[in-house]
Amino acid sequence: MFVSLDSADPRPIYVQIMDEVRRAIALGALAPDAALPSVRQLAADLRINPNTVQQAYRELEREGIVYVQRGQGTYVADGAVPQRERARLLKAVAARAIRDASRHGFTVDELIEGLREEEST
Amino acid sequence: MDGLPTRVTAPVWGIETIGLSRTYGRTTAVDDLDLTVPEGAIYLLAGQNGAGKTTVMRLLLGLMRPDGGESRVAGVRSGPRGDVRAHIGYVPETHELPYGRMRVGHLMDHEASYRRTWNHEYAGHLVRELDIDRSRRLGALSKGEMRRVQLVVALSHRPRVLLLDEPTDGLDPLVRDTVLRLLVEHVSDTGTTVLVATHVVHEMDRLADHVGVLRGGRLLAQTTRDELRAKLRRYRFQAPADWRPPEVPVAHRNGGAGEYEWTVWGDESSVVAHLTQSGASVTAASPLELNDAVLTLLRMENR
Repeated sequence: MFVSLDSADPRPIYVQIMDEVRRAIALGALAPDAALPSVRQLAADLRINPNTVQQAYRELEREGIVYVQRGQGTYVADGAVPQRERARLLKAVAARAIRDASRHGFTVDELIEGLREEEST
Repeated sequence: MDGLPTRVTAPVWGIETIGLSRTYGRTTAVDDLDLTVPEGAIYLLAGQNGAGKTTVMRLLLGLMRPDGGESRVAGVRSGPRGDVRAHIGYVPETHELPYGRMRVGHLMDHEASYRRTWNHEYAGHLVRELDIDRSRRLGALSKGEMRRVQLVVALSHRPRVLLLDEPTDGLDPLVRDTVLRLLVEHVSDTGTTVLVATHVVHEMDRLADHVGVLRGGRLLAQTTRDELRAKLRRYRFQAPADWRPPEVPVAHRNGGAGEYEWTVWGDESSVVAHLTQSGASVTAASPLELNDAVLTLLRMENR
């Protein structure tokens, strides 16, 4: 799994990590029972506070997407359905697109129209 | 501006000062300070030169006496007997050490000999990671080399509290990055409480979970990183020509001619409601990077 963070992103860092895990599950890069990087490893790789990684993993556990084996690590749960994670990701991408459009004074309809035009060119 | 938080909560303090004060002649360096760092927190102490950051650390170590108040580090009271220093790893602001002819390895052996908790294996690991030559004389080290030695000395006895005064000062970008990684690994492995004073605030953006902004020896604000992200936000909005601005605690104003960008302290929903009621239409509300947030807080008080 590859996690990348964006400083300019308004999502809190722990939410960005959660979404990166979702992305890996949705793409099939993380299958059920696959191990996530340890808190120590991911925190060190990203130069972030270990508590932030802990928080992301805890939230994912609460949502039933991962399970924690005490003293061993964090693993993808059987309940993590790629389609559902894809749907959640899409919702988040859509929300960001709408926010960005709105910031530039566009309505949702205009955004959709713009997306269609962009795709057909 | 009123209303900036100066109190945080925690079950156990790693560092606590109560009404701590210190003057130099007629200058007040630390003024009735209640600094509280939760156990296990990474606390960024920000402020301009002369704000009192270094004095706070020296008081915590018991290297100088306060004129008033007291402080505790890892539950031990700071005092001239220096008991507290057994629990503290300290990187001082200065790059100078008194024993110029001593070799790096000798200094480390000396530190190890009176630090009961010194971990030789870990010290060796840090020496390799930071590419330190133990045979060099201290007096011949560059600023950056000295800083690396100071970091090894501060971390190797696995103290309960780290006081880091400009820990990456003098380091090149690659070594800075290595130091940040080593610090994250250290915190993961030990749960150490960290108080770090630095001018390179952006380095701490993803590390600090608590922030204190010091000015004239007092805390302008003391809060969690999460609260700072939630409460100090940049609002973009459009407003009509005859618009009358609402009464909200604006920290910074930008824009004009219909489009504005204000940095405001408050609950987002309440700020947006005030702006909307005034006839403005808000198009974005976003948190600030840590460096911008600190700058904004410092400038607010300048008004």
